[in-house]
Amino acid sequence: MKHILSQVFHSGKFVVGFCIFMSILLLMIFYPIFNPGNPLQIVSIGTFAEPGIYVSVYDAVDSDMNTLKLDEAPAKRLDSVLKSEDRVKMVMWFDAAGIPVDNLSIHDTEALLTLWEENYDATIRPEGMTKADRNYFQRLDGNLKKVIVTHDKVLARQDPSSSELSVIRTIEDTDYVNIKKVANVKRLPLGTDNFGRDVLKELAAAIKTSIFIGLVAGSIATLIGLTFGLLSGFIGGLVDDFIMFITNIFTVIPAFVLLILISYSIGQDQRGPTTVAVVIGLTVWTWTARAVRSQVISLRNRDHVNLSKLSGHNLFLIIFTDILPYIASYVIMALILQISGAILAEAQLSLLGLGPKTTEVPTLGLMMNWSMLYTAHLNGYWWAYFPVILTIALISFSLNLMNTGLDQVFNPTLRD
Amino acid sequence: MKRKVVLVLCLLMTFSMVFANGKGDKGAKPEEQQVAAADDASSGTLPRNQTLYWAGLQWGSINGWNVLSDDMNNFNVSRQAYGTRITMFETLYMYNFLDGSLEPLLADGAPQWNANKTEVTVKIKKAAKWSDGTPVTAEDVAYSYNTGVKIGNTSGNSNKPYIAAVEAKDAQTVVIKAALNSAGAAKNPLMLDNFIAVEYVAQKAWIQKLEARTGGDATKMKTDPAEDVVYSGPYGPYFADDQKVVLVRNDNYWGKDASMWGKLPAPKYVAHTIYSDNAAGEVAFKSGEVDVSQQFNSNVQDLWEKDGLPISTYMAEAPYGICGSLPTAYYNLAIPGLDNVNVRKAIAMAVDYDAIIANAMTNQSPTFDQVPRSTMNPTPGEQALYDQKAVANLQWVGNDIAGANALLDKAGIKDTNGDGIRELNGKKLSFKASCPNGWTDWMAAIEIVAAAGEKIGIEITSVFPEWSVYQTVITQANQTEYEIFMMWSDGSSPTMPWNRVRQLMSSEYVGVEGNWSGNWGQYSNPRVDEIISAIPATTDAAKLRSLYTEANKIYLTDVPSFTLMYRPNCFHAVNESVWTNYPEDGDGQNIPPGDLIHGYSIAGLYTIKTVK
Amino acid sequence: MSGYRKYFGKKILWFTITFVVAVLLNFILPRLMPGDPVAVITAKSAQGMSEASAVKEVYEHYAEEFGVNDPMFKQFITYFKNALKGDFGLSFSQYPRKVSDIISDAIWWTIALQLPAIIVGWLIGNTLGALAAYIRKGFDKAVMPVALFLSSLPPFGMAVLLLVLFAIKLDIAPTSGGYGYDMIPNFSWTFIKSVISHYQLPFWSIVIFATGGQAIGMRSMSIYELNADYVKYSRFLGIKDRTIVGYVFRNAMLPQITGLALSLGTMIGGALVAEIIFSYPGLGTTLLSGITMSDYPLLSATTLIITFMVLITTFAIDIIYGFIDPRVKAAQFDE
Repeated sequence: MKHILSQVFHSGKFVVGFCIFMSILLLMIFYPIFNPGNPLQIVSIGTFAEPGIYVSVYDAVDSDMNTLKLDEAPAKRLDSVLKSEDRVKMVMWFDAAGIPVDNLSIHDTEALLTLWEENYDATIRPEGMTKADRNYFQRLDGNLKKVIVTHDKVLARQDPSSSELSVIRTIEDTDYVNIKKVANVKRLPLGTDNFGRDVLKELAAAIKTSIFIGLVAGSIATLIGLTFGLLSGFIGGLVDDFIMFITNIFTVIPAFVLLILISYSIGQDQRGPTTVAVVIGLTVWTWTARAVRSQVISLRNRDHVNLSKLSGHNLFLIIFTDILPYIASYVIMALILQISGAILAEAQLSLLGLGPKTTEVPTLGLMMNWSMLYTAHLNGYWWAYFPVILTIALISFSLNLMNTGLDQVFNPTLRD
Repeated sequence: MKRKVVLVLCLLMTFSMVFANGKGDKGAKPEEQQVAAADDASSGTLPRNQTLYWAGLQWGSINGWNVLSDDMNNFNVSRQAYGTRITMFETLYMYNFLDGSLEPLLADGAPQWNANKTEVTVKIKKAAKWSDGTPVTAEDVAYSYNTGVKIGNTSGNSNKPYIAAVEAKDAQTVVIKAALNSAGAAKNPLMLDNFIAVEYVAQKAWIQKLEARTGGDATKMKTDPAEDVVYSGPYGPYFADDQKVVLVRNDNYWGKDASMWGKLPAPKYVAHTIYSDNAAGEVAFKSGEVDVSQQFNSNVQDLWEKDGLPISTYMAEAPYGICGSLPTAYYNLAIPGLDNVNVRKAIAMAVDYDAIIANAMTNQSPTFDQVPRSTMNPTPGEQALYDQKAVANLQWVGNDIAGANALLDKAGIKDTNGDGIRELNGKKLSFKASCPNGWTDWMAAIEIVAAAGEKIGIEITSVFPEWSVYQTVITQANQTEYEIFMMWSDGSSPTMPWNRVRQLMSSEYVGVEGNWSGNWGQYSNPRVDEIISAIPATTDAAKLRSLYTEANKIYLTDVPSFTLMYRPNCFHAVNESVWTNYPEDGDGQNIPPGDLIHGYSIAGLYTIKTVK
Repeated sequence: MSGYRKYFGKKILWFTITFVVAVLLNFILPRLMPGDPVAVITAKSAQGMSEASAVKEVYEHYAEEFGVNDPMFKQFITYFKNALKGDFGLSFSQYPRKVSDIISDAIWWTIALQLPAIIVGWLIGNTLGALAAYIRKGFDKAVMPVALFLSSLPPFGMAVLLLVLFAIKLDIAPTSGGYGYDMIPNFSWTFIKSVISHYQLPFWSIVIFATGGQAIGMRSMSIYELNADYVKYSRFLGIKDRTIVGYVFRNAMLPQITGLALSLGTMIGGALVAEIIFSYPGLGTTLLSGITMSDYPLLSATTLIITFMVLITTFAIDIIYGFIDPRVKAAQFDE
């Protein structure tokens, strides 16, 4: 045993796969510890908050402020609302409104802004200008007004009874706050999803459910496949014919179709993660059954098995002592494949709207389904779908890699 | 044949691709196309600058053009209360959901009511013609209605109880007689207004042809695809398959007569690509393949603020459009606990409506601060019909956890066994809140309702059954399966806001099996029923206002249901990369944002211009 | 020859039995779904009706149309008889359209997309796998993990990534549909070009997905064969390397053909989901609308057609296999 393990861990492929899988497991176990709470809790109002560090403005204005005199600050502030395409657009507006722009360079910020301030009028509707453009210029004008004027901003508190404002402090454009001093800073490494849930937290929980589904479905499939394969291969005869009859039918009818039909007929109310896992397990066992059967047939007439038979050992004893140990490595490899297949199957089912019930637990498939329903992929909200695809791919990849590694250990011909 | 062609083509392509790995041409970009644009589509490509594209009105391929059928799945044939689509078939009047007014279309001048409001006379325009050149007559109106009643389509079935007869007095004059109640007054004169604004007029000669063809069998008449249909609208069928529906302008359209528009609508073709889902439609809209989108674009402002696309909505700022319906959470009053008004009100007070509006509607709804809740649409027309001040003390702001807790405590509904959940009469207050699965905005709203319960010691769990299950349960008379559940209220229409009061509170729906009409929570109040029967016959404005105010007072006191957000009749966003000069808020044209197809918003088709 | 007849006879018997079981499952399972689809279609017509009796009438009318009032057994007989004729009844969600009509619109797109894509994927995969096994060293080190990763990527994930990259970011491919939004189908070059450009992304996403799995399988098979005794013996005899390699790959290829038959179901499943991502007008999209609209006549007909396609292909592969694999031949004559 020890020998086999050391051999297994000498396989580069297995080790790489193992490391990837372990790091996913670590994320699944440790992230919720650092960031406890219900993974389905809605933390942000509105959909798809971008990944980043969120600083509480409410607390920030109460924190100690330092004055930093930074020369580039005003320019940066202006650049944040006046990009070069905005400058070009401004000139287009002058043209449309019939304002002469001779000798005006779009890089001459001061001249551009003066001309704008003097001439821009939101009520003008230049001929041929679309509403979208008119709206754009109004927004640009509003933004410019905000940053050009460098008056101090005044912070006031409203008295609830009299609605009167009392000034708390003034904020100058050179006031800075150290982020460490702000009481509430929330890190959302992967932003939020369409419900406003913390994606990374949800992902950690979803990995857990998906691996659970994989394990349950994989074990069921392997157990059924193993039992059928052993009985069919070892007993042979009528039992073999009957089992193979069933197996053949379910090999040819695609498991995918069966999954859809069964999940559909169960109805959404009854579909929890466990139900889905069981359904997947019940539809994909045929592979294992066929493979185990052929292995058993090749073992059936080996000497040690025949010896056992002659010694009058009963069926189960023979299977457990003389057959199982020989195909154990094979069964473990089949189990690994079944697990990764089941995780994929859940994701695929969820995308068709046949996954587990939404509200109870997150799964990788449901996260994917929701981000697709909210068209995250078309709108550049990569954080809502890409990590999910990557996680599924990595889980499956690491399992397959480990499997290949094992294959090489147990089938020396494949070794490099 | 067509399929084999596709198959052969695809096989050919595969091989060409494996070797050539051609780069996609991505349709054709608008610029290229304007150069290549022929005058018509004979080249197989619709000239982009003469075609207006819609999205969000048609899902799945059409079944035909039969205006008498409800099963055509064809956006040009379906009726809508907030403005029937009049591209191909026309109504007598065009409804304008901005102010509730009726503009004459096939009709000539305003409808004439008789003194006791039991019948309405409508003149037909002399210029109105069918696509085969024959005039539209009063006889057509009468025959369309009578056929509808005879074959039992939705139009016939829903009008039958309220309309006694539709008669042609002469070729140009049609009289619609209301069904009378025992007192000799019209059962509901509003339904006559609705009739002249919503129901299509079909050609008598064509209907007779259809009858001859089908032997007058109702089912056959309703399932006939009617490829030979005769229409009066400005557009007729051009092409349809499982990926698009295209209509072409009838350049002999009668509406270019001075008595109607005096010109033809701007686009030569109007087309609707059939997208498989919202996502596909949205991306096409963003890339300029769609001009007018009736889809819900979450965070619509991102389209111009972040993506810088030439997209705009009716209003430049939130709520971006005109809302006309009230998605509402109903309490099932048969459930112990929910029969207690304090529990109902406390839940409604605790719900964070701003979160719902921000999340489910992405702010495309006015907030309840802006338009306090009532039985009314947030349109000025409906809001003016009741006295907001008189019910102000009954209002709640939402997210008022302290207030809700105080209300429950005061009513003696407390947590007696320390499990964090309050009890009423020894029974734990635990409810299931549901809406159909996949209706994402509603689901988000229900989640927020469930979250509110937790904060006030009432356990609310969310359940999302499939729509097929949901709607069978919800329409049962005495269902106890769903406890707090969402349903819609109908959008704007000539019968509103009266019909909404009825929908929300009328006891006529209590105990009705297969109830698709309203009051799903089974609320019953005799005074409300009196008000509902009084409103349609009331003409005095002050009296009407006091009736509506009283109805709202009762609604906000008894809380049989509570509105979660406002929602537009139809979404309306336009991409101005090809067409511009769409109707907008404050342009003085009073054209509603109804996708240039619903009722009076079709006027927009006559004002749009191509971008220079 | 009797061996062959026996072989085919047995295969045809299998085919028939499996087909009947498939029809049975396709009939029963969707009908177990909770909820009443007749009520759904009634709802469409009943909105705006305030008289309950009128609604009831509409319901009865539709129940009659769809024959749901008959006992289950009778329904099945009717269903089976009609299904053999290619008639799957009326669609609930697109009433009064026939299910067979909807499917025959979609199926050609799916066949034209998936058949070439799976064949191309299979060819590329096997070539890469064989090369990896033959060349080993650096090439194998590169191909093997990449192929493994590609086959681990969920098919919908591949589709989404291709869509985002090529259609959204690079903007060189259309995002949805089967042909250009501004086109009317005709026999012009522009139309064909448009169909080709819409074909690209779904095609390649299926090819890539099919390639990975096949490459790995072929690689293992080839390595087995390369290490087999007959290879060593041939080398010892001084037979030319090219000739040996030819034998090796032909032998390695044979299990790959049955492998294709066995993985066909999974592949088509993945490809259908990819179709959905690209809104390709094929069976995937039909399947999804059958599910979301609770349209079980449509759903069960779609799944039945998919099963049937897999059955037919498996059957065809079995037959071809019987002809080309000497081992099968021998086995058949033995019996």
